[in-house]
Amino acid sequence: MSIQETQAPVLVVRDLVRRFGDLTAVDGVSFAIARGETFGLLGPNGAGKTTTISMVAGLIPADAGTVTVGGEQMSPRSVAPKRLIGLVPQDLAIYPELTARENLTFFGRLQGIGGAALKSRVEEVLSLIGLGERAKEATKNFSGGMKRRLNIGIGLLHQPELLILDEPTVGVDPQSRNSILESVEALSGEGMAVLYTTHYMEEAERLCDRIAIIDSGTVQAEGTRDELIRLTGGVDHIRLEGSGDTAAAATLLRELPAVQAVDADRHSLVLTVRDAPTAVAGIVNGATNAGMSLADVQISRPDLESVFLHLTGKALRD
Amino acid sequence: MTRALAIAGVELRRFLKDRSNIFFVFIFPLLLVVVIGAQFGGGGSTGRVAVAAEDSTLRTAVVEVLEDDGLTVTFADAEGVREQVARGRTDAGVFIDAAAATAYTAGEGVRLEVVPSSQSQSQATMQRIRTAAEAVRVEQAQVVVLTERGVPADDAQTALEAARESVAGPTLRVESVNEIQQEFSGLGQFDLGASSQLLLFVFLSSLAGSVTLIQARRQGVIARTLAAPVSTAQALGGQALGRFVIALFQGSYIMGATALLFGVDWGNIWLSLTVLTVFSTVAAGAAMLVGALMDNEGAASGVGIGAGLVLAALGGCMMPLEFFPDTMRTIANITPHAWAYEAFAEIQRQEGTLADILPQLGVLLGMALVLLALGTWALRRSLVRSM
Ligand SMILES: Nc1ncnc2c1ncn2[C@@H]1O[C@H](COP(=O)(O)OP(=O)(O)OP(=O)(O)O)[C@@H](O)[C@H]1O
Ligand SMILES: [Mg+2]
Repeated sequence: MSIQETQAPVLVVRDLVRRFGDLTAVDGVSFAIARGETFGLLGPNGAGKTTTISMVAGLIPADAGTVTVGGEQMSPRSVAPKRLIGLVPQDLAIYPELTARENLTFFGRLQGIGGAALKSRVEEVLSLIGLGERAKEATKNFSGGMKRRLNIGIGLLHQPELLILDEPTVGVDPQSRNSILESVEALSGEGMAVLYTTHYMEEAERLCDRIAIIDSGTVQAEGTRDELIRLTGGVDHIRLEGSGDTAAAATLLRELPAVQAVDADRHSLVLTVRDAPTAVAGIVNGATNAGMSLADVQISRPDLESVFLHLTGKALRD
Repeated sequence: MTRALAIAGVELRRFLKDRSNIFFVFIFPLLLVVVIGAQFGGGGSTGRVAVAAEDSTLRTAVVEVLEDDGLTVTFADAEGVREQVARGRTDAGVFIDAAAATAYTAGEGVRLEVVPSSQSQSQATMQRIRTAAEAVRVEQAQVVVLTERGVPADDAQTALEAARESVAGPTLRVESVNEIQQEFSGLGQFDLGASSQLLLFVFLSSLAGSVTLIQARRQGVIARTLAAPVSTAQALGGQALGRFVIALFQGSYIMGATALLFGVDWGNIWLSLTVLTVFSTVAAGAAMLVGALMDNEGAASGVGIGAGLVLAALGGCMMPLEFFPDTMRTIANITPHAWAYEAFAEIQRQEGTLADILPQLGVLLGMALVLLALGTWALRRSLVRSM
């Protein structure tokens, strides 16, 4: 008999509902995040990501459902569970007339840090977000990427147990974006729980241990990347191009156990297969044996984009 | 409390970082104090007389007596003096023609032409000129009497002066007879301007500063504050405290700077600081209200400056309350400025005690509580609405 070590999740969201007038922006969302886990909310504009996060952070009240952070119920009135959360809002929330250091110091004080501890932590974060050199400058002179980095720095200054990032890479150049993603990976590696919203599937794929696909206020599916992809039926496509007898090749390949379907025309074959990387060698052999001389082989596997398309019938990005 | 203090501290910092505030907060108030002080007169309440006369013994005698009485005497030709009177640059014009000068030397009766201006002080000054003329007449009569007894005129003059100086009797001071004159009697040249500009700018800076509250709401920093372990009460309290600190800062600066630079006498400093503190609370409440109710910074800034100036004018910060007609004086009481003005008047001019200013402090405190309650309620509502 084995005792399974179950760690209490840092965040539990249960049946969350929020309406704005007639619109139900969030409609029964549930999920949980454990320590060291990065959880993604992936959804298009208006899906309800920010609204969900605002309820998680206790900025707006929920119409129904509960948010529990570190075992304590979260609401706009609660103070204690807010200590555990670092929020990086989607819209920049920094004082433009204050310097980076002053911004960090102020928000650090709000977290109850003070004195020498605050001072050294501010310097630490400044260098972490690469703003050590510009710490004395009013942030209104900062580039968009620098402001984003400061926005993030404020969120993680007090070393929260749960870091919430709401589309932190929007409007950021690829370099800054990469450095933001690396920081998130590092923090997660240190055991921080991360709630990450994005409408970039590459970011969700790269960062998140588990992903919830959200649309129109409801979670359409939740799981690891592979679990989600299996929802599409898990089929891959292999496309063969070349000359020779494509019709004969098609007949032969249809007999292979991995192959589910074959579409043929004069110069190419598109095969629907299970687990393309394993099947591809046999398929290439078969096609060659059937007299095709191949010019190109392409494997395409489903990604989160196809999962989203499969679940909602819409593209993730419009 | 430390969190509320942190919020208040940031608000003050943001206020001071606004470059346009450097002029409006630090320089402009002092400039106005100087301008008002200059209007109040190089001698302030002492009164100004412009004299049009050729040089003569009569002129010398009249000017000497006027100056002895503390009046400021300037000279110009008849045309110049008339213009000064018309424009209110002087309280009264005195015209001494050649005939009068000759008559005076001859010991005959002399008539001086005196024209008052429409200035508030001119009646008081006129009275003092009459007294001066009387003094000159008496002295001349004495000289004439002596010379008629065979004493040379110069010797008679010298003898009279010596006699006057040796008499250590009660010196006759010409007290001002005018009520308004008396009202301002305890004040130095810059004192009135300093207290009225203090009231004007404490309110104006606070209202104009409400723009930073609107910015903070729009920029999402207030919401972010509430994502930290900060209760709504602490966040609201911090904002109110921030507005209060800004008002108090502006007021203390004007108090300190005018005392140092212009020697303004603030009376009992503790009482004056009490008035400033209570008045700053009123200003803080008003600023909270504007910053919470309005969403547009440009509009808020316009409303803030407009309301700041109108309230100041109504409350006696542009023209002293004492010059207000009765109805206006009654209307003035809706402004906190008028109550604080009266409290400062008690302290600065009458050496008033805490008991003397209790009624004013009470009214101001009431206004402060109402405005702070409304401001907090409005800010809270705007935060909840954005949720
Ligand atoms: N304060 C509000 N008042 C009215 N409607 C709102 C409010 N906030 C959000 N909504 C609506 O709720 C829905 C969900 O919005 P939300 O901001 O949560 O989406 P999102 O997933 O964060 O989108 P994006 O990727 O664009 O940030 C949208 O239709 C939005 O218009
Ligand atoms: Mg959003």
